[in-house]
Amino acid sequence: MMEKTKSPEESRKLLDKITFDLTRSIVKRDELTHFWYFILVMFAAVGLWGWGIQIRDGLGVTGMRDYVSWGMYIANFVFFVAVSLIGFLISSSLQLLKISWSKPISRVAEQIAIAAVALAGIIIVMDMGRPDRFLNVFLHGRFASPIIWDVTVVTTYLTISVLLYYIPLIPDLALLRDRGGDDIPKWKMQVYKILSLGWKGNDKQYKLVAHSMRVLMILILPVGLSIHTVTSWLFAATLRSGWDTTIFGPYFVAGAFVAGAAAVVILMYAYRVRYRLGDYFEELHFDYMGKLLVFVCLVYLYFNINEFWVPAYKMKTAEGIHLRTLFTGSYAPMFWSAQMLGLILPILLMLFPFFRKPLPLTIISVFVLIASWLKRYIIVVPTLEHPFLPVQNVPDYFKHYSPTSIEIMITIFSFMAALLIITVLAKMFPVITIWEYAEEKGIDKEILAEPKK
Amino acid sequence: MKIKLLVVAILFLAQQGMAQEWLVPEDQKNIENPSEYNLANVKKGKDLYLLNCKSCHGDAGKNNGLPLVPPPPDVTSDQMQANTEGELFYKITHGRGGMPQFETTLSEDDRWRLVNYIRNYSPDTEALLVEEPPKKAKVLASVNEAERVVEVFAEYQNKDSVYVALAETPITIGAQKAFGILPIGEVLTNNEGRAEYAIPETLIGDEQGMVTLVIDLGEGFITEDVVLDASKVGQPKPTPVLIKEEVLWSTNDNIQTWLLLSYLAAVLGAWGTIGYVVFQIFKISRAGKEE
Ligand code: HEC
Repeated sequence: MMEKTKSPEESRKLLDKITFDLTRSIVKRDELTHFWYFILVMFAAVGLWGWGIQIRDGLGVTGMRDYVSWGMYIANFVFFVAVSLIGFLISSSLQLLKISWSKPISRVAEQIAIAAVALAGIIIVMDMGRPDRFLNVFLHGRFASPIIWDVTVVTTYLTISVLLYYIPLIPDLALLRDRGGDDIPKWKMQVYKILSLGWKGNDKQYKLVAHSMRVLMILILPVGLSIHTVTSWLFAATLRSGWDTTIFGPYFVAGAFVAGAAAVVILMYAYRVRYRLGDYFEELHFDYMGKLLVFVCLVYLYFNINEFWVPAYKMKTAEGIHLRTLFTGSYAPMFWSAQMLGLILPILLMLFPFFRKPLPLTIISVFVLIASWLKRYIIVVPTLEHPFLPVQNVPDYFKHYSPTSIEIMITIFSFMAALLIITVLAKMFPVITIWEYAEEKGIDKEILAEPKK
Repeated sequence: MKIKLLVVAILFLAQQGMAQEWLVPEDQKNIENPSEYNLANVKKGKDLYLLNCKSCHGDAGKNNGLPLVPPPPDVTSDQMQANTEGELFYKITHGRGGMPQFETTLSEDDRWRLVNYIRNYSPDTEALLVEEPPKKAKVLASVNEAERVVEVFAEYQNKDSVYVALAETPITIGAQKAFGILPIGEVLTNNEGRAEYAIPETLIGDEQGMVTLVIDLGEGFITEDVVLDASKVGQPKPTPVLIKEEVLWSTNDNIQTWLLLSYLAAVLGAWGTIGYVVFQIFKISRAGKEE
């Protein structure tokens, strides 16, 4: 839906407005910004302090014991891997399908992907009893182990996500370098100058950018699909009740889209309000995102029905014990609230146009995102509480897992660190691809390359 | 020396004294035993005892339990017999410290049968299971490797202190394994006190097929078990070292070729492409310098 090419006069005016709006996040620095940074850094620091304690005293400071050896950390890890998958959906799949409304959102999705997958990697290190032995994973890893595949695919996905973020950013960096106002701090201008790689905006360069992006978008398809499928194999390749299922791969991928789409909606809304980008993240975008969210929720619901109803029909001994704790036992409140408030109710509500308006949709997304986190917890922990052999002669606190305050602190760290990455990205670089947006609005490339008067 | 012993003894006693009393909830104490106190139940209880409890509590009346702290009391001891039936049941069910719980491993009926068995030794009840005093006996045994039979001859000392053939008595044949004796069969002696036991084809020995057989007269006789060292009557033990095979989850030395190749191909494919894109970035930079 490209608009007609505009006259140079009109174009210049429009470009000025676009640049002004989209650099507001970079320029803006008020009390609220400081406060926000303060909150993030403070909580992240508290979490790091908790990690220090854990390194000093060992994993005994967590609630994990002989039976439940994967607790909140791994649940949180799976959550972050899930959220990161949205980059694959929005910045690649939808772009390859030439779904143009998703263009302005793709950088938002990519920010989330980078932050989430980076944190996923960090969380794994934080779950290690001996993080100093981290390199052994690469030096002595077994190629036949899903854990090695996971490490491989997480690092690969992170690299691709960074490239997919950076390459379309280059022309924007040049634009800022050339047209940036005096209100942008000097050091940022310096960064733009270096990172823009001497961009001139000639045809050859645009072609190279388009080509690289296409290659990356195609590459990220198998890698993105792998990242969450392999994560699901960490569970599905074992014999435990609740994990021993064949649909775990697609089940995880579907769940990932739900979590990621909700995260994108929330971030879009934050930018829309905070940086007054209502003209860019329009009602229309929320409407489409709402529809996308309904769609992925329905797919996820379908997998959920398969995942729980089929074994529940049989209620095999061990599986039955596991399912009963979820349906009516100690995990029932968490299980049902995640399914109802995080999946079924949102689907029903989002069918109505009103609930796809920015604010209602954002509120719904918050619920969906929280439920996604709980869902990962329900996948990881209850299974471990039900081993096949009877649990005998162990202290009571071995039998049930509950996270300790250290674990909660470190988990909060991960959220704060992810938000910090997103904030820094938003403060450093425009949250929407300016040149693409301008092109969409019919502004000629020549004008983009013009230096500021 | 004596002082040392004394210290040890006092310490030991002190520790005994410290063993806390095992309290059973009031409402559990006087639960009635639903299984009847009769010979059948006591016998079943004895079998269960031999299987599940003897390893720690030892033989009834011999005070030969494991030296644990606190020690597992002998079934005939005052300490054991001071329990009500309900208390016994509760303690067997829930366990404490070194005493395992049997709630998940023995059925409720079986646990009550064990209570019946313990009650057999109570001063207040009539003993149903009366064991005769053990007799002295002698066992001779040899193995015929070619025909794969064990030949046994048994005698016992009768009332007149003369050794006579032990007729119609079960003899247990076992094979010595790493963690104890595996019973493999039983034969009855004939009137001359002789028995022949055919070793099953399926018996598995060590890597060479050697088996150490143990011939045992069972309870009621005082004799040494006859141990027949390493006779070649078993199948050689298969020793698969699973990790040495090409299985899906093996070590790097034995990884399946297709798996390694798929992994490497995927990694090279992805990182090769990433390398290509990074190269494009250089090209973008270079294209900026051209006019
Ligand atoms: C692993 C060793 C072990 C096994 C096997 C075991 N016990 Fe015990 N048992 C103990 C120990 C040790 C104690 C003392 C526990 C204490 O006082 O804290 C004990 C105590 C008891 C007591 C309580 C005695 C008292 O002080 O009142 C009863 C009854 C008992 N065992 C019955 C059984 C029965 C019946 C079985 C078999 C089903 C069994 N035990 C198997 C180790 C064992």
